[in-house]
Parts: sequence; C-alpha cells; structure tokens
Amino acid sequence: MDSIAGKKPGLTWAVNLSVLAMVLLWIFPTLGLFVSSFRTGDQIVASGWWKALFPAEQIVQLRVADPDENRVERDGVFRVEGNFFLTGELTGEIQAFGVSSRDLGAHAPGEAADMGDGESLAVNADGSYVWSGSDDQISGRGQRVFVTATVPPDFSLDNYDTVLGEGVVQDLISWLVGAALVGIAGFLALRALLPAHGPVLAVGAALLYGAFALIAALRAGLVGTTPFVATGLVVVIAGAAYVLVRRAMPEAARTMAWVLGITAFAVFVTDFGVGTGVGAATASEDMAKAFMNTLTVVIPATVIPILVAAFAAYALAWMDFPGRALLIAAVVGLLVVPLQLALIPLLKLHNEVGIGKGYVGTWLAHTGFGMPLAIYLLRNYMVGLPRDIIENAKVDGATDFQIFVRIILPLSFPALASFAIFQFLWTWNDLLVALVFLIDSSGQTTVMTKQIVEILGTRGGDWEILATSAFVSIAVPLIVFFSMQRYLVRGLLAGSVK
Amino acid sequence: MKKTLLAGAGSLALVAGMAHAQDLAFAPGEGPFSWDSYDEWAANAPDLSGQSLTVFGPWLSPEDGYFGNMLAYFEAATGVEATYTGSDGFEQQIVIDTEAGSPPNIAVFPQPGLAANLAEQGLLTPLADGMNDWVAENYAAGPSWVALGTYADAAGADQFYGFFFNVNVKSLVWYVPENFEDAGYEVPETMEELIALSEQIIADGETPWCIGLASGPATGWPATDWVEDIMLRTQTPDVYDQWVSNEIPFDDPRVIEAIETFGMFARNPDMVAGGPGGVASTDFRDSPAGMFSSPPQCYMHRQASFASAFFPEGTVVGEDADFFYFPSFAEKDLGSPVLGGGTLMAVTDPSPAVDAFMEFLTLPIAHEIMMAQTGFLTPHSGVNLEAYNNDTLRNQGEILLGATSFRFDASDLMPAAVGQGSFWTGMVDYVGGTSAEDVAGAIQDSWDAAK
Repeated sequence: MDSIAGKKPGLTWAVNLSVLAMVLLWIFPTLGLFVSSFRTGDQIVASGWWKALFPAEQIVQLRVADPDENRVERDGVFRVEGNFFLTGELTGEIQAFGVSSRDLGAHAPGEAADMGDGESLAVNADGSYVWSGSDDQISGRGQRVFVTATVPPDFSLDNYDTVLGEGVVQDLISWLVGAALVGIAGFLALRALLPAHGPVLAVGAALLYGAFALIAALRAGLVGTTPFVATGLVVVIAGAAYVLVRRAMPEAARTMAWVLGITAFAVFVTDFGVGTGVGAATASEDMAKAFMNTLTVVIPATVIPILVAAFAAYALAWMDFPGRALLIAAVVGLLVVPLQLALIPLLKLHNEVGIGKGYVGTWLAHTGFGMPLAIYLLRNYMVGLPRDIIENAKVDGATDFQIFVRIILPLSFPALASFAIFQFLWTWNDLLVALVFLIDSSGQTTVMTKQIVEILGTRGGDWEILATSAFVSIAVPLIVFFSMQRYLVRGLLAGSVK
Repeated sequence: MKKTLLAGAGSLALVAGMAHAQDLAFAPGEGPFSWDSYDEWAANAPDLSGQSLTVFGPWLSPEDGYFGNMLAYFEAATGVEATYTGSDGFEQQIVIDTEAGSPPNIAVFPQPGLAANLAEQGLLTPLADGMNDWVAENYAAGPSWVALGTYADAAGADQFYGFFFNVNVKSLVWYVPENFEDAGYEVPETMEELIALSEQIIADGETPWCIGLASGPATGWPATDWVEDIMLRTQTPDVYDQWVSNEIPFDDPRVIEAIETFGMFARNPDMVAGGPGGVASTDFRDSPAGMFSSPPQCYMHRQASFASAFFPEGTVVGEDADFFYFPSFAEKDLGSPVLGGGTLMAVTDPSPAVDAFMEFLTLPIAHEIMMAQTGFLTPHSGVNLEAYNNDTLRNQGEILLGATSFRFDASDLMPAAVGQGSFWTGMVDYVGGTSAEDVAGAIQDSWDAAK
C-alpha cells in the first residue's frame, strides 16, 4: 500500500537535489561569464572570477616617476618623489613592498629599502614614495616597485565600450531605468485618478510615453530632437488607433497590441539601440550595421521555411497520394545529412543561377537547411489533430486549401511557434552559413557573429571581449525566447503524444 | 545590383552609408619612407578608377586596419577601390569560395601548403613573368622564398604563385630584462649557455621556462616550433629539408634527438612553470603572462615575434620585455639558422588592378608602411630599416636579413594531415609522457597513410 495517492514518494529529495544541481550547473558558468565581462584581460589571466567579487591581497608591479623629468637635486643627492595613490596606479591598503623580483615583500611601509651604494627607496602607507641616490643611480627608467596591497574589487564597462561603442550600455541602462520609473509612476497615478480602467489608461500611457520622449530629447541636449518627437507622436497616434480599433473590433485588439509592441520595439531600437548618433547612445558603426544585417538575414530565414513547411506538412499529413510514406521517410532521412556537405555545391548553384553571394542566397540556404526539421515537426503535430474535424469540413464542402487555412493553421500555432523559436535562435547564432553564402570580400556584408569574431582579433584569446559579446548577442534571443516560451513548452510536446 | 533589393531593410537601417574617405596614415614626403620610388611608380601607374580589388586573408583587428592603411596608398596612386576582409576561418572559406567560383581577387595564405593545394587544382593564377626573378634578387635568402612560392599547376608544371608579404621570426626567446638584472643573470650567447642558465635558475629555486601548447583545435603547434628550431640547431639545413619532404622518416634518430631535446625543457617539472601537465593545458596566449607576474613564475619564453601581442597591457617591448636569439650550439658549428613563418599573397581572380597591386607590393613603400605600424617584418632588402616601428622590430628584421640559413616552419610545409594534425597531437602526447620513439613512429604512420 506504499503507492497510495497522497503519500509523499521517498525520493523527492533526490529529485530536488538533481534539479538544484542542474540549475547550478547552468547558472555557475553563466554568472562567471557575466562577471568576467566586467574585468580586463589581465585580471582574467591573473585570478578567477569568483575572487573578483572580494577585496584581495595582490602584488602590484609599479614604477616610480620618470627620473629624467622628476628628479630633484639637493646637496648632491638626487631624489624622485611621488604618490602611487594620487596617480591612480594603486588603490587599497599597502601591506609591504619590495624592489627586487626575488624578494617582493621585503619591507614594511615606511621603511627604506637599501639598494646598495647609498641608493634607497621608501614607500609609505599613504602611497607616497622617495627614491634617492647618486646622479647615476637616479637616471634612466623609473625604479620598479612591487607593492603588496589589499585591492578592492575593480570592475569596468570598458569591454562593453569595445563591443558596442563608447557609452552605449550606460545610456541604455539609464534610459531603461528612467522609462521604467516614469511608466510605473504614470500607471499608479492613472489608477488612482481614474477608477475606470481601459481605453483611458491606454491613451494616458501613450501620452506619458510621448512626454518621456520629450524628456529624453531634453536630456540629449535637444540635439536631433526630431526622432524623439517622432517617437512620441508615433506612439500617441498608435495608442489612439488602438482605442478606436478596440471599440470597433474587440477581437482584433490582441493583434493590434502585438503590432503596437513590435512598433514600439522597432522605434526603441532605432532611436536608442544602435548608431543613429541622434541620441546619446551611439553604437559603433560596424556593430550597428552588423545588427541590422543580422536582422535582415534572420527574419526572412525564419518566416520562409515556416510558410513552405506548413503547406508541405499538411500535404504529408492529410492528403492521400501515392508515395507519401516514402516522401516522409526521405524527409526524416534528410534530418541526418550534415549541412556542411551541401556548402560548395549550393554556392556553386547560386553562382551559376546568378544569385551569387547575398541575402537571397542566405535565405534560401537557411530555408533549405531548416526544412527537414520544420516539415517533420509540423507534420507530426498536424497528423495528431482530430480526424473528425477535418472530415466534417470535407463533408461540408471545404477544399484542402480552406481546411488548411481555416482549421489546421490556427490549431498548429504551438508547433509553428516552437519551430520559429528554434529557427530564429539557430540563424541568429549562425556563422558558418553566413560566411559561406553572405559575406563576400567587398566587406559590406557582415553579421553579429562575424563582427564578434573580428573584435576578438587575429589570434583570439581576448576572453573578456568574448564574455561581453556573449552577453550582448544573447539580448535579442532572450527577448524572443521569453516572449514566446509559453508556446515552446507546449510546442515541444508537439507530435509526441497522439 | 542585389543590394538595391535591400533598400527596404535599409530604410530601417540607421546608419547612412558613408563614404569613408581614408586619410593616408603617413604624410607623403615625410618620415623614413622610400617616397621617391613610390612617386615615380605612382606617376606611371595606370589609371584604374572605377575598378575594384578585393583581398581576403586571415588578419583581423587590429592588423586589418594597418593593412587597410597600406591599401590607401595603392588607391591614391591608381584610383582602384581596394577592400580587405579577414576571417578566422580563412583556410576553410577560401577553399569553398574558390571551388564554388566566387573568389576574391587576392588571397593571403598563412600556409604555403594550402596555396599549393589550390594551385594544383588550377584555382590560382601564376604571378606575372619576372616576379620570381625579382624576389630572388631583392629578398634576403631570395631563392628560398621563390622555392616556397613555387607550386605545380594543374598540368604539373612548376609556376611561381606566392609572393611573401609579412614574415615572422620564430627563433626568439623573450625575457624580462629587469628580472634578469635582479637575479644577476646574463643573456646566453650559445645553446650550452642557455642550458647552463636554465640549470642555474633551477638551482636558485626558480622556474626558467614558460611553455603553453593549448590553442583550441590547433593545440600543440608551439611545440612543433620548438622541435623545428632544435632540428635547425642540431642538424644541417639539408637534413631539415629532407625531414620536411619525408625523405628521411619522421622516426629517424636525428628527429627523435630533437624531440628529446625539447623534452629536456618541457618534460622536466623543474624546468617549466606548472610542470608538463601545465604545458599541455596552458593557452599559448596566456603563457607569456608568467614572466610578468610578481613573483615571476618563469624567466624565459620561446615564441615567435608576434608574442608581444599577448604581453600584459602597457608592456613596453624593448624595456619591460625584450628578446634574444634562440642560440645555436657552439660545438655544432651550424651558423645562425633562423626559423620563420609568413603569409603569402596569391592571385585567385586576375584583373588589371591585381597586376598593378602585385607591382605595388614590390615597392619598398608597401613594406615600410606596414613596418611602421605593427609587428611586420620583411625580407625585402631595399627597405629603409629606419621605418620599423621600434628597435625590437628592427633587431628582428636584422636577424631575418642576416640569417645564414632561413627555413620555413616545417609543420606549415608538411601535408595537412601531418603538419596540422598528427604532428600537433603527437607533441601533446609526448609532453604527456609517451616516448619520443612512439610519437615519431605514429606521426610517420599518419604520413604514410596520407600519401
């Protein structure tokens, strides 16, 4: 009687532990990458990212000021004085110092290190130092000093400046925080003032957005105000349209909301995200171009295969014709063919047909490579739809096309969405297909992945740039994933249970 | 054109396409450059306005920018619109592009072996007549450069395809002068002294060497450079050539001796920072950092001239870090052999602009502009050495010009299955503890299989 419902299974803790382990396994490296993206290359080589979060005792190699410019003579003794804290070379607390690489912590702060023949160097706890000796000794390069110091954690946004352009991240963050604050304040105010929610709220929010665009324009010093005003106007007009549509056709409001959201996103991206130079945020020109090129590749390369595959899947699932089973088997077989096999023949074909290297060729290639999975996934989902509905429709005189458009397509939405996510992520992250079919030697076509590889440099190895780029390029897929993930969860089960 | 198709997408695009008027990096007529020959050539250069030239190679930032600066002088002289694009997957992409029929005008090959493969398939166009004579006369050790750029064409006849541009010297040992000073060490002049110095450092309780072999899929290549350098110091250049062409087998006792000499450094836990385990797992880009840490983890690092790119930020080469020539054995009397590598330019899609560009590359100015900007070395004997960016580079350039024998990186000349395959992995196995005989035998087997 152990397995009676209501009794807790004995191994729950094992399940919980394994889930915890899996979550940690995923979070730990991601967090490491995130922390690393705020560190310099030298810091990454010197210590692990987990140490970066705490003050650490470090031995810092410093050099006193150049004697040729800074030395002062007094009674035949030459001196160079300075302060490591004031020059910004050192932060934290000095524990010890040394002048030879063989004995790094030889002296306590305040003590003078004797370097022989009357030459000496003293470093004090306040960072000041005195290097004194004869004319000959105090010349050439500044003396090396090894200072053992407790250094506070040190992070910078330099990597993001390298990847995106100067100051882009700071501007984006301050803009987002500002937008969120204004949005929340506006929402609370409206709710308090107007108990009747609905249309008025929408108009209010649109007006608020317009007002905020004006504030943003002021913040940018009224330079290039037009796009900001335009943004506000677009949103106000769209908001008004939304209200009208909502009144007239309530069922279309949902679609309208999506359109509005996408418009707002596009406006946001064009205004603040990338390289217009009108806002305070100006992404590096190359990255902006690569971002737009990537979108140009990804959106058609996601939409085209879905369109084609949906038709094919319907035919393979519900239309009777000889050889159908063989065709399905062929499609399944194609799933295992590595796309690398097709690179040269396909590019040859494109050259012969006259498409050459370019967007059209890239869309076609992505479509072709994505097609087997798309057809397989959609066909398995569609074949699981209730036969009765389709037969009823046929009895009522519906053609195959009508059945497809009116019945199958709406019902298959989860499968379509899940494939769209897969295809979007794969084309977004793709470098190989872009290199082969898109990027020619004219240098005009580039995509994000290629741009990131280029920033990494000829011999690679700039881990800090790699970590930063990973977080930059993940942004758009994250938005897509989170906005569509509820379909993914449903869609992943597509075809698995009949 | 196709691009008009994209006007729709482009309307969303924010960046108005701007013509980047590229300023010349160095004002004509100034500085240590050979302006006279450039002006003379530019005056007679054909007017090729409206034509374009595409160059595709392995250099990414910042080298691509430097190369672009050099192209600007060619553009100024001829009116050609020249563009350079780089890719880290150059080796694969050039094969795809040439075979499929959409090649760039000029490809920059990092490995002669790859260029030879393409030449054999008839995908490269031989350089103009007389180019090989020019290289033989104007490059130091000219005939060996001509030989390295000459491959069989589709019909089996030898043709001159490859023009070497951008060479690096591999026989260098990097060190931190102030660390040597603190410890009272002297720069060794002979291999015997170098070994004695290493033992001295061990006796002082420190570690002499930093060696890192990890390099992603190419892990192991730094060790092949070590073995090649030692081969040149223990055997005559003839034996080296026979080894490269497999006239003597890879498991010849002379090769095994070279591998074991490398093992004397890399397999001795006292000799190398992190021990043999650290050698195999340390990234070659990270390994020089050991010299600059405090306290220093090691005192010397043998790596090609480009190693300075991986030194910590702010390191002044020549002051904070310097190099000495990886010395030869005094007792062997083999002169001062130099091991090097380099990139070669070959024509993949001929045009009048390409001809003009290859001619431009023979001018000293094309080399001097590169020398003045980056770690670019040239065997061109007509250049003004004053143009080198710093003294360190000038010294390396002089090593190159003064080499009694210059040999190209053997692994780049061997068949890909060996030179970019079993030789790399074999060296990792060797450092991991497999005997030199077993490793060399396995590499020879893979060579036999590749024939």
